[in-house]
Amino acid sequence: MDRLVFEVAAAIAIVFAALMVLSRNPVRSVLSLVVSFFALAGCYVLLFSPFIAVIQVIVYAGAILVLFLFVLMLLNVGPERPEKTGRPIQTLLSGIAIVLFAGFLLSTLRHSGSAVPRALAAEPNVLGKPDALARELFGGYLLHFEAVSVLLLAALVGAFVLARRDRGSRA
Amino acid sequence: MIGTIPLSEVLIVSGALFCIGLCGALLRRNAIQIFLSIELMMNSANLAILGYGASLGTREGQIVVFFVIAIAAAEAAVGLAIFVSLFRHTETIDVNRVNLLKW
Repeated sequence: MDRLVFEVAAAIAIVFAALMVLSRNPVRSVLSLVVSFFALAGCYVLLFSPFIAVIQVIVYAGAILVLFLFVLMLLNVGPERPEKTGRPIQTLLSGIAIVLFAGFLLSTLRHSGSAVPRALAAEPNVLGKPDALARELFGGYLLHFEAVSVLLLAALVGAFVLARRDRGSRA
Repeated sequence: MIGTIPLSEVLIVSGALFCIGLCGALLRRNAIQIFLSIELMMNSANLAILGYGASLGTREGQIVVFFVIAIAAAEAAVGLAIFVSLFRHTETIDVNRVNLLKW
């Protein structure tokens, strides 16, 4: 049952990710990615990480992609026009990426279940409990947590400085 | 196995999403769409980390993903500010037409 739900969510995520890449209209692209991230949040729940799934929906699908939409509407960029000359190098490289993925897929399927550790040390239901996660996060990872808060502050100031109008052009 | 989901399945999904993101980053010309593809690649890495974390039965994976999401938020804010600033200077975010630093 879990497996079926995971597969459906993963299929939705992959299909909408492909739509995101293929659409020329950036707004449509962002909206496809929102759907893809929601489906990925569903996958996270099935991997015993409900807290991360909630963060995924709030921060990624909620905040980050809304920021993308906001900037797109601010800049008012239209859909990409088709190019006269193709992009041979890029097409070649993405072809290589697809071939590598096919190789990876085959090797994973061949070694399926043999090389991967399958022991579940903790109870699956205990694994995703937010209180246990918080205790670990604020125990051994407190310094990292504080560093991230400083980083976010730096990003806030940096974004403000970058996006501000130049002083000369204000008047 | 993670419960009833085999780890290989999680890794395949993660690899597929990564390749889709990579193709998007290579083939699109709109800077914002390239950035979206990079976000997708980051999410595919998150999925792989969570899959391994759950399969090993530790919470470390979730903690790493938590930090990755926080850093992605910072990165998105700065990246979009750069695009706004770029658009103000060049009136475009088509990466083919922004070639000031290209040799």
